[in-house]
Amino acid sequence: MSGRAGEKHVWTWPIAGYLFLGGLGAGMTLVAAVADLVFGLGSVMAASVAGSLVALGLGSFLLVFELGRPLAFWRVFSAQKAVLTFGAWMVSVLIVVDALYFSFLSGWFPWSGASGAQGAVAVIGSLLGCGVLVYTGVELASMRARVFWNTPALPVLFVFSGLLTGAGGDFLLVLVWTGSGIGTTGWAALGGLALAMMLFAAVTLFTVLLYVLMMLTSAGTEANTVARRWLVGRYALYFWVGVIGVGLLVPLVLLGVGISAQQASGGVLPMAVASALVMVQGVFLRFLVVYSDDRKMLAGELRRRERRPSGTELFLRAHKG
Amino acid sequence: MTRFAMVMDTRRCIGCDSCTTACKVWNDLPLDLEFNPVVTDGPNGVYPHLHMVHLPLICMHCAESPCVHVCPTGASKCDDDGIVWVDEAKCIGCGACMAACPYDARHKDSASGVVMKCDFCKDRVRKRQEPHCVWTCHQRARIFGDLDDPTSDVARLVASVRTEQLFAEMGTDPQVFYIIGTGGQG
Repeated sequence: MSGRAGEKHVWTWPIAGYLFLGGLGAGMTLVAAVADLVFGLGSVMAASVAGSLVALGLGSFLLVFELGRPLAFWRVFSAQKAVLTFGAWMVSVLIVVDALYFSFLSGWFPWSGASGAQGAVAVIGSLLGCGVLVYTGVELASMRARVFWNTPALPVLFVFSGLLTGAGGDFLLVLVWTGSGIGTTGWAALGGLALAMMLFAAVTLFTVLLYVLMMLTSAGTEANTVARRWLVGRYALYFWVGVIGVGLLVPLVLLGVGISAQQASGGVLPMAVASALVMVQGVFLRFLVVYSDDRKMLAGELRRRERRPSGTELFLRAHKG
Repeated sequence: MTRFAMVMDTRRCIGCDSCTTACKVWNDLPLDLEFNPVVTDGPNGVYPHLHMVHLPLICMHCAESPCVHVCPTGASKCDDDGIVWVDEAKCIGCGACMAACPYDARHKDSASGVVMKCDFCKDRVRKRQEPHCVWTCHQRARIFGDLDDPTSDVARLVASVRTEQLFAEMGTDPQVFYIIGTGGQG
């Protein structure tokens, strides 16, 4: 995803990583909370909630890493109305709720198993999970200057993609948590998560294709340019192989194989591989979107920008030194 | 009430980049950073009917500033007189304002990590001096003043001449107005 001469992106890989991990963590908590509240499968979801905590923590670290002044990160909580502030608060509170939720699900603490309190924490976690999932898309979609981001369809895409990676992460961590003794509850959770992944993968596939086609046929020249870049241009390999092929179609096939096989006897391996592969979709999609920050430009502006000097830091250091 | 604005008379601009250079020197900007580049559209047309327009760009000091709304720390400010500026003490360099700006008017300084932008030379302006780019422009293509003062040059020009705001469809209500014409005709 190297840039052309003069091309400068507002945000780079740490923000793509932050958006991926934010969606992953929020999706994991939301799916785990639904599995707990609706299907009573909370007992095998402890590691999933802990995994969400780790993903959100790592994502927050990446956000701080991208800042020009990382040590002043705490100021991000100070504005009243900015989307980024809302997001930072939601992610931070979700990390705390995840820790609390884990303490209920793990069975390691005296209060573990207090079903009323656990249910309340699960509801709060699921609400915050929804909020963070939506926020990761809204943060970009609110930028009206960026033609490829500025649409309400982006949060929708990020929500389904986040749910898919969340269900995938939960699947893998249910396997880790239950170990060799999966048990009836474990099998029920794995089967449910596999079905959820199939649903989310199908919807994500439909949504992402629709999104790119919408941009390709939209009135804006810049949006067309980005869509062509995704479909046949510099990003085509990442899009068709990373997002569509390895990240969505292959997992769909593997999940189908795994679910059929599970009904006969085993079939966990193909589903586990699918759970890992959906992460590829999540990562590539966030990278592609973050690097598609094209702006509507004035005639002659690109030519001017390409004429700007670059790589001057060495010269300036030598000059000032 | 004061509302500072600028008129760019592209009929007079010859694309000499004096304003760009003056701004860089006045604000001691790094080599690869400029607050007010002049972009050139053209030459267009077929000989002998050729034309070319120079557009001096700058922060538009939008009345509906998207950069101010997205700032998570309150570092991006829009004062009562319409000047949009960055409080460096509060800026964490998150880049949200850069992403929100339709005019590429904000830049992160790699040395300090904070976002920098044109502030209409507010320290000069509030001492009743002109911004440095306006003071430098020998073609008088940049006109600065109080839009709420009907006797000011900017108010008179905006009221009497057809002006355009760049990307007005984005709803940012930019306070820089362009008189569109071909270069060096004024």
